[in-house]
Amino acid sequence: MGEALAQLSEHAPQGNPLAGGTNLVVEMRVGRHQGKSMVDLGRLKELRGIQAQNGHIVIGGGTTVSELLKHPLIADHAVPLCQSAAVFANPLIRNRATVAGNLVDASPAADLAPPLLALGAEVELVSREHTRWVSLDEFMVGVRKTLIQPDELMRSIRWSKPPKRSAGAFYKVGLRKADAISVLSAAVMVACDTSGRCKLARIALGALAPRPLRAYEAEDVLQGQPLQAEGIAEAARLAAEAARPISDIRGTAEYRKRVTEVIVRRLLVQASEALEHP
Amino acid sequence: MDKSQFNTLGKVTPRKDGVARVTGQETYTVDTILPRMLHGRTVCSPFAHARIKSIDTRLAEAMGAVVLTFQDIPRRRYNERIITVEWALHKDHYVLADKVRRMGEAVAAVAAETEELAEKAARAVVVEYEPLPVVLDPIEAMQPGAEPLYDTVVYGDQEIQIEKNIACAREVNEGDVDKAFAETDVFVEGTFDVHKIYHAQMEPKSVVCRPEPDGGITVWATTQSIHNTRIVLGQIFDIPLSKVNVKRMSVGGTFGSSIQMNSVVPIGVALALKARRPVKLTLTREEDMHDHGRFGTHAHLKLGAKKDGTLTGIELELVADIGAHILQGYSFLGVSIGWIVSLYRLPNVRYKGTCVYTNKAPGCAMQGFGNPQATFAMESLMDELAEKLGMDPVELRLKNYVRLGMTFWGQGPMVRSLIRSDGVPDLLEKGKELIGWDRRQPPGLKSGRFRRGIGLGRGFHTSSAGAPQPGDVIDYSGALVKINQDGSVDVVSALVDHGGGTLEGMAKLVAETLCVPLDMVSVVPTDTGNALYDVCTHASRGTYAGGGAAVRVAKQVRQEICETAARYLNVQPEAIEMKVDQELGQAVIYVPSIPDKQMTLKQLASRCWSESWKTIASMDSYRPVACPPAYVTVFLEVEVDTWTGAVRTLHAALGADCGTVVNPDGAVGQLEGGLSRGMGMALYEDIDWDERGQLRSKGYLVDAKTPGIMESPHLEGLSIHFADTNEPTGPHGAKGMGEAALNPVPAAYANAIYNAIGIRFYQLPITSEKLLAALVERETMLKERLR
Ligand SMILES: Cc1cc2nc3c(=O)[nH]c(=O)nc-3n(C[C@H](O)[C@H](O)[C@H](O)COP(=O)(O)OP(=O)(O)OC[C@H]3O[C@@H](n4cnc5c(N)ncnc54)[C@H](O)[C@@H]3O)c2cc1C
Repeated sequence: MGEALAQLSEHAPQGNPLAGGTNLVVEMRVGRHQGKSMVDLGRLKELRGIQAQNGHIVIGGGTTVSELLKHPLIADHAVPLCQSAAVFANPLIRNRATVAGNLVDASPAADLAPPLLALGAEVELVSREHTRWVSLDEFMVGVRKTLIQPDELMRSIRWSKPPKRSAGAFYKVGLRKADAISVLSAAVMVACDTSGRCKLARIALGALAPRPLRAYEAEDVLQGQPLQAEGIAEAARLAAEAARPISDIRGTAEYRKRVTEVIVRRLLVQASEALEHP
Repeated sequence: MDKSQFNTLGKVTPRKDGVARVTGQETYTVDTILPRMLHGRTVCSPFAHARIKSIDTRLAEAMGAVVLTFQDIPRRRYNERIITVEWALHKDHYVLADKVRRMGEAVAAVAAETEELAEKAARAVVVEYEPLPVVLDPIEAMQPGAEPLYDTVVYGDQEIQIEKNIACAREVNEGDVDKAFAETDVFVEGTFDVHKIYHAQMEPKSVVCRPEPDGGITVWATTQSIHNTRIVLGQIFDIPLSKVNVKRMSVGGTFGSSIQMNSVVPIGVALALKARRPVKLTLTREEDMHDHGRFGTHAHLKLGAKKDGTLTGIELELVADIGAHILQGYSFLGVSIGWIVSLYRLPNVRYKGTCVYTNKAPGCAMQGFGNPQATFAMESLMDELAEKLGMDPVELRLKNYVRLGMTFWGQGPMVRSLIRSDGVPDLLEKGKELIGWDRRQPPGLKSGRFRRGIGLGRGFHTSSAGAPQPGDVIDYSGALVKINQDGSVDVVSALVDHGGGTLEGMAKLVAETLCVPLDMVSVVPTDTGNALYDVCTHASRGTYAGGGAAVRVAKQVRQEICETAARYLNVQPEAIEMKVDQELGQAVIYVPSIPDKQMTLKQLASRCWSESWKTIASMDSYRPVACPPAYVTVFLEVEVDTWTGAVRTLHAALGADCGTVVNPDGAVGQLEGGLSRGMGMALYEDIDWDERGQLRSKGYLVDAKTPGIMESPHLEGLSIHFADTNEPTGPHGAKGMGEAALNPVPAAYANAIYNAIGIRFYQLPITSEKLLAALVERETMLKERLR
């Protein structure tokens, strides 16, 4: 790890971490990243592992999507992340693609971002000199833009274990059901108190804006209310309003907005049902 | 024919190449490695339409690469596929482009010691382009002022002018449409659009070429026809065919994409000839996606009928988007009307078809060769007509379909033959029952978020392009069958198995004919030097025509077996019969009335050998004199989510009449595969180009959207049935199957979706997005009307 960080700071800004390579290699083949030095992170043990620590789940940045799918801590404490991993690319890519690679690449359609936003995740950035924790929401700035500095690595990602009486879900609309880039995606996490009132609501959207984003206004209407059809419908409407999609090869802005509402509503209904019948 | 007497046909047997294919042991062209072999790469144009001003190869050569430009290659125009006769053949292709007409077209090529060096050298070739306006829309391409792709092409042996980007045109008129339409009660019409889509075959196209000391070449290539590849190479490089040897390889799927000599083949050959060393050249997936695609079609149809449902005639105008090069435009125009008049009796026909050049991937045959496009249009109109007439769609079809005893010409006006087997009534009856046709409700009665619909598409494909007389398309096969010393059998055939099990079928047919256990029959590796001409594995002809040739020759061998055994057994040859003894693992030659007059094929063959007499063998060519239709009907039940536009396939009842079912697992696989590819065409796949002529998917499969297993209906929702027919002209009663399996599927989706939501789509694919937009538009219209 120390060597990798040294290499990066030495070559900065021409050094470039290489993890699974499922974004980088594709880009290199069309002639990008010419003249850069690739620093292969593939064998760094410090970037691997999924653990429970002081009320948090902590995963290494080099964790692959396949590992997410297999690990009981993810199944138990990160339902939306697990659901997202299940529809991520195809088995071959899942074996190589890493969580940090997905977040640092910062595609608007990065599928691991909405569930991690819904979980309220933070990312750990380390360089030779310092270590800092940044909330994922702040970390992602725009299309392929993040707060990471050329000499930094994303060492880990963490989130608080969801409380009791909480539930979450993720859904991805692709042009087919597997091996597709998201037309749009959404993740939700909700938690209720003993009286059934919502005490925590997070709604995150993917491929609907220059960066994956939280629909804060939609979340607000759920706060303190029982999770019922009317509130859910209103939250779904507000989430669709928060979306600022573009038209591209995978869908028009209009279609994306319309379907966002349907999907967010479906996810909230699913989550509220899961709360009622745990 | 008593099919219960079959030893091998119709039985489920493990595929001979199955283990090798699924365990990665099969060697495909790309796995071929030769001593001293160099690696090739092409220099691809970053423009879809451009003149080449200069090519500077010095840097690449300084790296130690062999560099090829058009100056190194004989300036001879060719068509990559010579299966039509000279007067129907257009030639517009050079090995390396003189002018770039599609994105990614090869303008130069390099060969070097390693793949890495080849890649670097290819990038080091400096090409100066003069970009030209890009022509994408075939209708606009024909307007005055549109940028021409070609000034001239070669037709037959003459150079002809190309006007308005029209590559060729064809008209067919039968009967009197004006008179028929004057007496018509009901019309339906529509303009149907089907975009180009990508074959998405698993194997990337590859070639390995070894130059021989005698000036000849040996070629390992991904192809569906080794003889076509040889003939075209011989013409381009002016080498006698006896010195051009093309190996028959295992192929990892094509869907038609290797029906011609592939564009990489002559480039690889030219590199090897220049380097004087073996060269391998393989397309990347991105390059492959720019290399070929289905023919895009834009068609206007007007169909007339009497009140009782009898069809009166049709008017059809078709524009085919052939892309940057012509392969078989003229034939395409012929079959496009052929499919339609062979679906339903249409005594009066007025047809005009036009092939137009655009700066896109060249159109090449893809499963169905225009048939799914034609069937989508026709079967949609038949449903509309049924609704207008208040008739059951099945009834209307039964009344009009081209049936037993009728003449049809699916493969174009010159390929006419008589229908001698017909399982359509059976297929429709059984399909209705399986899908629950009687519970089908009109769309008006449906409401709620999820709406279900039942739809039908029926269609066919011809088995081969055989006919009593020669036509514009060449169609014949050959085979050599010989008996080995131990009673096993070698079959030598140029027929290529592109993954569907064609050669498995051939082995079964020969095993059946010779009463030999299947395990004792091998279709052995071969090449153009050893195998008789076979036109190509296309037109669903593998089993029918290629298998037909093998059976003809096997029958000759059987005759020789009987005559030879008659001498040893001292009986009349006519008294001899054959049967299989599975325990002995041998064919047994016997005389029913005299128990001790019998011997195994091994005993016979080894006596012929040890007595220095002969090998029992025969070789012959075979031209099928018919091209019988294999019928397929597809009944679907779908569910439309009116909130998202998503379509789910709940049930599919697939029925096929392919005559004798040679290989049951294979036939089921074809139908399931046809459903999947048809679903892709109907709902997902849309290869689109941006204004620069770049694929919007940039050639990445992840955005090519062929459906996967998760789109398929659940197994319990899938039922498959076969009609019990016997094709008298086919080998042991068999017909084709592969393309028929796909042809009616897109139509069945369009009809099922209409039945669910009452909206008819004339353009494929019917994506969730388009479907939702249509629902929203209808909602808005209804609201406005209420106001
Ligand atoms: C066929 C295919 C299908 C795909 N499908 C999907 C899909 O369904 N959903 C989806 O979201 N994505 C998909 N992708 C994109 C890609 O697989 C993911 O974004 C993946 O998570 C990237 O991870 P990686 O390890 O391969 O990253 P790499 O390509 O190695 O790196 C990506 C970027 O992250 C940086 N980086 C990597 N690790 C670190 C680290 N620890 N610290 C700092 N910087 C780092 C690299 O420098 C680079 O800029 C697909 C890609 C392909 C080729």
